[in-house]
Amino acid sequence: MIGMPSPTPAVLRPDSMLRLAARDTAGLSALLDVPDEELLAGGVKGDGGCRLGIVAPTPKRLGLARKLVAKGRSWRGRNDIWFTARPLLAGTTGGIAFLFPGLEADFAPNMADVAAWLGVEPPVGGSDSGDDHSGDQHSGDQHSLGRHAEGVIAVGRMLDTALRRLHIRPAALAGHSVGEWSAMLGGNMMGQTSVSDLFGRIDMDALLLHGYDFGVIGCPVDRVTADLAGRPELVISHENSTNQTVVCGPSKAVAELVARFRSRAVICQVLPFQSGFHTPMLRRNLGRFEAEVRTLPMRAADIPVWSATIAAPFPGDPRAIRELFVRHLLEPVRFRELALAMYESGIRVFVQNGPGQLGSLVDDTLRDHEHLTIAANSAHRPGLDQLRRVATAVWVEGGEPDFARLEPDARPIEVTAAAPAPAQAPAPAGVFAELTELATRFPAVAELNTLMRDVAESVTAVLRASEAQPAQPVPAFRLIEPEPARTERLLHVSTRTMPYLLDHCLAAQPPGWPDETDRRPIMPATTMIHHMIAAAERSAPGLRAIGVDDVHLHRWLVAAPARDVVVRTEPLDTGRVRVRLGEHAEAVVLLGRTYEPPVTAWPVDSAERPTALTAQDIYEQRWMFHGPRFQVMTRSLGIWRTGVRAELEVVDVPGSLLDGVGQVLGQWLAEFEAHRPIAFPARINRIRFHAPLPPTGTRLGCTVRIRDIVRDLVEADMQVSHGGRPLVSISGWQDVRLDSDRSGGAVNRFIELSTLSEQRPGGWWLLADRWTSLAARELYMYKYLAAAERDEYFACAPRERRHWLLRRMVIKDAVRGWLWDDGAGPLFPAEIAVFEDAPGRFLVSGRHGLRLPSLSVAVSCCQEIAAAVVRPAGGQRPVRIHAAEVAPGVDLDRAAAAAFDLAPEQGVRAELIDNPDGLPSRQYVVAWTVGARQQKQEDSTR
Amino acid sequence: MTPAQKTAVLEEVRGILAEVLELSDVDDIEIEPDSLLTDDLGLESIDLVSIGAMLTERYGEKVNLAAFLAEKDLDEVIRLTVGELVDFVVSKLADTTVA
Repeated sequence: MIGMPSPTPAVLRPDSMLRLAARDTAGLSALLDVPDEELLAGGVKGDGGCRLGIVAPTPKRLGLARKLVAKGRSWRGRNDIWFTARPLLAGTTGGIAFLFPGLEADFAPNMADVAAWLGVEPPVGGSDSGDDHSGDQHSGDQHSLGRHAEGVIAVGRMLDTALRRLHIRPAALAGHSVGEWSAMLGGNMMGQTSVSDLFGRIDMDALLLHGYDFGVIGCPVDRVTADLAGRPELVISHENSTNQTVVCGPSKAVAELVARFRSRAVICQVLPFQSGFHTPMLRRNLGRFEAEVRTLPMRAADIPVWSATIAAPFPGDPRAIRELFVRHLLEPVRFRELALAMYESGIRVFVQNGPGQLGSLVDDTLRDHEHLTIAANSAHRPGLDQLRRVATAVWVEGGEPDFARLEPDARPIEVTAAAPAPAQAPAPAGVFAELTELATRFPAVAELNTLMRDVAESVTAVLRASEAQPAQPVPAFRLIEPEPARTERLLHVSTRTMPYLLDHCLAAQPPGWPDETDRRPIMPATTMIHHMIAAAERSAPGLRAIGVDDVHLHRWLVAAPARDVVVRTEPLDTGRVRVRLGEHAEAVVLLGRTYEPPVTAWPVDSAERPTALTAQDIYEQRWMFHGPRFQVMTRSLGIWRTGVRAELEVVDVPGSLLDGVGQVLGQWLAEFEAHRPIAFPARINRIRFHAPLPPTGTRLGCTVRIRDIVRDLVEADMQVSHGGRPLVSISGWQDVRLDSDRSGGAVNRFIELSTLSEQRPGGWWLLADRWTSLAARELYMYKYLAAAERDEYFACAPRERRHWLLRRMVIKDAVRGWLWDDGAGPLFPAEIAVFEDAPGRFLVSGRHGLRLPSLSVAVSCCQEIAAAVVRPAGGQRPVRIHAAEVAPGVDLDRAAAAAFDLAPEQGVRAELIDNPDGLPSRQYVVAWTVGARQQKQEDSTR
Repeated sequence: MTPAQKTAVLEEVRGILAEVLELSDVDDIEIEPDSLLTDDLGLESIDLVSIGAMLTERYGEKVNLAAFLAEKDLDEVIRLTVGELVDFVVSKLADTTVA
């Protein structure tokens, strides 16, 4: 709402950027003390927290810069020079806010190159310069105002995307007038609503109040208020800044007001459009709007979004948000108080997401407070050149923008790549469906949403930084970022070098079991992340990991037998390194010097109740397989339908803290999904560290919020906090759930006392293959087979493996069952060795110290089932069993007799069984020979 | 008004601009008669409010920048130079002298 239009831009080649850094001004002066020719081409030199940036350096600018540096005076933007020895973003209070402009007298964005750079269409309605909106006072073309507003908002949204691409990320969002709607979209307060959705719902042109003008008065609000006494037709619509106030009223009254103030030498202007927004006069036009607002999804902001109506962040309750959304149009815009309150909350850098002069209102208000304002778009120059200025300015203040993306030959960003490919998601649900739907409808919005999701953790804390300052390390000097190198090294993975992995084994074995490969020690996903972080940090000495993105866990990394894994780092751009841990995992590690601004700790959910299982129960009842060194959950704090809280202890085991976070999720699964509690991390979208890890022994809080649970996936967001201050934020942690049923659950917990197979009343054992995935089947394969047996398993043709495995498993269960009936104690499946000495003929023996009596076994497989029977060897009767699929209604005796070609008096029994639920509908006949002992029992009960 | 007086006004206007621009030394940035207030000095419309107030404070209400700007269209405001600002002040001071 400021009137001065902008001159026509000149088209230039991409502007060069000169960036110099040193420990102090003397060092910077030394860097500048060279012939101009060495500096005019731009480039980066030196390191330190005292920084100078010049865009499009000229001898004149260099001369000015030398003077400024010599005096040590901070300089923020004039002549495209930025310099300070006291960076605004260095302390714990420093934060960046994005400010979204509303309607101004002049709207001349330069977005074409930005859109091309992002790989998207230029914003609808956001016409580039050349479309002259300016200088046309009172054109009366009110019909285009809605479209104009849509253009302003679309430009704001696109710049938001562009800035985040440059790693310039906001700690807070706010907007001026309708720009506040942009801020709300940016904070994801309207769910998936896009700009065009919003303007599709809200008929802005129907809202406009005609015949009412805005008079911009160049003086403080109290002077204007004094003048308005006795003039009820005039109201203050905007308290823009210390020296700018806007009054709204009937055109004639506004004209008189302006004349009065001009006569007192106050600079005034009547705005070239009418809307009546932010005044009570608009109420008469609101009927439809209020109904429209009710159809808009509203939710708590992901990033704090400030309301200029109340000069404070928006409430989180949808009803309260809608109420404020309506009040916004009826009450004054209190932009001056907003700027002061945001400054008070720790914001120091205000990036204006659009062309225009909104930033000058902040400058006017914060005249006596050190801060930076800069516009992300300008009518003066191409959009990318203005973004170069933003990046330079933010860098000078201690930020770490990604300059590589601004290289003239930087590839366009694949925007659609961020959205999941619908073809690969057969039955998307929940968040996946939303994203997929979004991607197909509107790729650019999908990108926005992905980015929104990226910052989902950044809730209000940074704005409260003055109240709750986190233990955020502030390096004494900020250095020029070392370029991460492409590296490749071997990581030796073994239980000798990583003995803690013996407490992270997928297969339990008896104490003292000699073959550690049978325990299947695996590296936890979170320990893989630990090693990927370590590799990334080694590739860029001096930097530390501040976050991890796009973690993909492809396959187990088994530590026995020992192996070497190639760890490769590949720098993507400044501060981002892709790390591949062999074929096991990959991730993008974010490197920097300062941690991400802290977020607000999540409040305790009102529906929280005590957990049914204590942390101790979780381990003692073996809901998790973790041994002592990974048992970091010290206390269960509470649980509710969509989340769980626990206390974790910092221990000196790599990856154990985040593994503990996964265990907290595991507790939720144990209580709410006890029938399918087994899950392993498959993907993590985003991890951010807000502070270094506190020392061993520290107790931390962990909250897990379940986002979505579909058949095979559970997705959650997590927060780990220390003394109430968030330490780690995780979003989009996806666990893959493995198939399980009740017996599977028992086997997972106490395999030495339980079986996957079921003993039938006739004394034989039945096992059905209910695993729908290879991963699930092999999980149990490793629990049942010893090393030699696994070799045989893998030697089988893949199609034969299922039956091969079912036979071994059911035999091991039948033998264990026989031994338990005989008074044996705990027995692990691997203790039973099974050999097939001739096709179809199986022998069993004990392994590693277990002595078995001489037993005869028989087994038969058909489709999804396996049946086994076991008896002491040397009996009179043959030990045989046979399973066959039969048509419904078959004659049981005939089927049984046919199976063995034996007479009934030879002790043949048969049973018809159905496939268990969840498997194809089938009926089998299982026939088996009974032993003397069993026949005697049967005879006596007759 | 003599050329010397005009030079004095230029110096005073420079001082005012330097103050609005928060320059400690005028030589940090060149403020010449042909400097554009917007493009060369980076002033924005809100700064004109401060400049107007300072001019009035220095020379009295007869130097009314608000009235001067109100007669101009937006393009003319953009192309305003330091020299024009000085001429405006000088013209108002001259009016008084004549009266």
